[in-house]
Amino acid sequence: MLDFLPQWMKDGVGDDVLFWLGYVTNGKHLSWYASVQYTLAAAVFGALIALCMGLGGAALRNSRFGVARLAGSLYINMVRGIPDVLFFLFFPLAFEQLVEWFRAQALCTPETLAANAGQWPPCDAANWFLGTPEYLILACVSLGIVYGAFAANVISGAMNAVPRGQLETARAYGFSRMQVFWRFQVRQMWAYALPGLSNVWMLIIKATSLLSLLQIADIVLWADRLGAPNFTRSAGLVHPDWRWVYYLVLLLFYILVTFISEKAFAALSRRASRGMAVASSAA
Amino acid sequence: MNKLVLAAAAAIALFATAANAQPVRIATEGAYAPWNFLDDSGKPAGLDVDVGNEACKRAALECTFQVNEWDSIIPNLLAGNYDLIIAGMSVTDERKQSIDFTEEYFPPQPSRYVVRTGTALDFAALSGKNIGVQGGTIQANYAGETFGATNTVKSFENADQALADLNAGNVDVILADGNYLSEVVAGSGGALELVGPDVVIGGGVAMGLRKADDELEGKLNTALSEMKKDGTLDALIIKWFPDKAPGPIFAGG
Repeated sequence: MLDFLPQWMKDGVGDDVLFWLGYVTNGKHLSWYASVQYTLAAAVFGALIALCMGLGGAALRNSRFGVARLAGSLYINMVRGIPDVLFFLFFPLAFEQLVEWFRAQALCTPETLAANAGQWPPCDAANWFLGTPEYLILACVSLGIVYGAFAANVISGAMNAVPRGQLETARAYGFSRMQVFWRFQVRQMWAYALPGLSNVWMLIIKATSLLSLLQIADIVLWADRLGAPNFTRSAGLVHPDWRWVYYLVLLLFYILVTFISEKAFAALSRRASRGMAVASSAA
Repeated sequence: MNKLVLAAAAAIALFATAANAQPVRIATEGAYAPWNFLDDSGKPAGLDVDVGNEACKRAALECTFQVNEWDSIIPNLLAGNYDLIIAGMSVTDERKQSIDFTEEYFPPQPSRYVVRTGTALDFAALSGKNIGVQGGTIQANYAGETFGATNTVKSFENADQALADLNAGNVDVILADGNYLSEVVAGSGGALELVGPDVVIGGGVAMGLRKADDELEGKLNTALSEMKKDGTLDALIIKWFPDKAPGPIFAGG
């Protein structure tokens, strides 16, 4: 792995350092570093779905129609109370079985149904194999649904924080209802919503550590594998329980992501509140 | 909108089915050295992987290994997520009710107890102890039945975690496969030792597959018989379990 280093550099750092450099860059460790992609993908796409669910939920809750308001409130209040771990386990399994149920209606014959009676899936042809890509998509959707409820709450509050007088003035100047909504309410809403949304983003980042529950070989699962004690010489370096070291690295990773996110949200906030009278007074 | 979601779901599902067609997919646990583990390159390795690859070569099958957690390894075989289990799995009557086994590629071996060096245990009247096992193993069943009434049996997801807790002092003793433990004890530098009686539970170790896959079972059995006769299997076993040398284990029999 380290063959590309020139000899003088190898001599300079010594055998110990070379050994450890080689160890933390072996294929196992490279797989660990590469598995960050699942964590980041789940965070980014989970957050995008959460934002869409949030906008939709907020629009429903602030809607003119009673039924839509009820649906929006139900979503926001019920889903916010569901533990993310539980939903993470429930949703992909329920969705898988739903898809298998639909497949069974189309693909199973009475004979294959009888052969598999009392078992799931109803027949072999209906089985839906979930690999890492499928689980990752379902994980993103789960994150999106759970944290979309928080985002909806934040966004709906922010929409109401836009001064009524401005909207009425805009109407009086002849802007259509849609124009008022998009150009005045939504445009100004971001300045009020971003601090709350940054909190939701942090929650999503934290929840990405649950990916291993769905058999995705993410950074947490690899940390478990790499840190587990090994007493068998034929299986590589013999070492005691090192999981704490690997978990520590994960802690530092999450702190780094938090730090970068804070900076990014600060920049976004500055941009969203540019030209607004509220900018100086917004906390 | 609903139709769109359903169509997308159906498309994903159909694509997923079409994608896994031909090669024999083999599941192993990847956390039970030297039976099976992830080597330094992160790929499955160990006796199970060597035996699987050799048998596939002889049966002219294309095989791929994948890692699956132990506690769901049989359900996922039945669900069709893969076609074969090679994971140091002992043949038991209970498992035979749900899956079929090939010929054994490792003879029946006793299970052993391992403790931190210097721990004295009275196995005839064990009480108030924490006993670590890997969930879903023959040892877990045995420990629950034999010691469950007066001791606490702690079930771990994999053997590594059980060992970590033994070292940390959270469990007093672990019951596991004797071959696995003798390698562990040899590598522990005196921190761990084997104690107490040998316990014979279950049969030898074999590959597991769905009851309907008779054709695959036949091919693998033919390959395993050949490997036993010409000594290839013995050589592989000795490669991973040096204390089995010089044999013969299966050869000539």
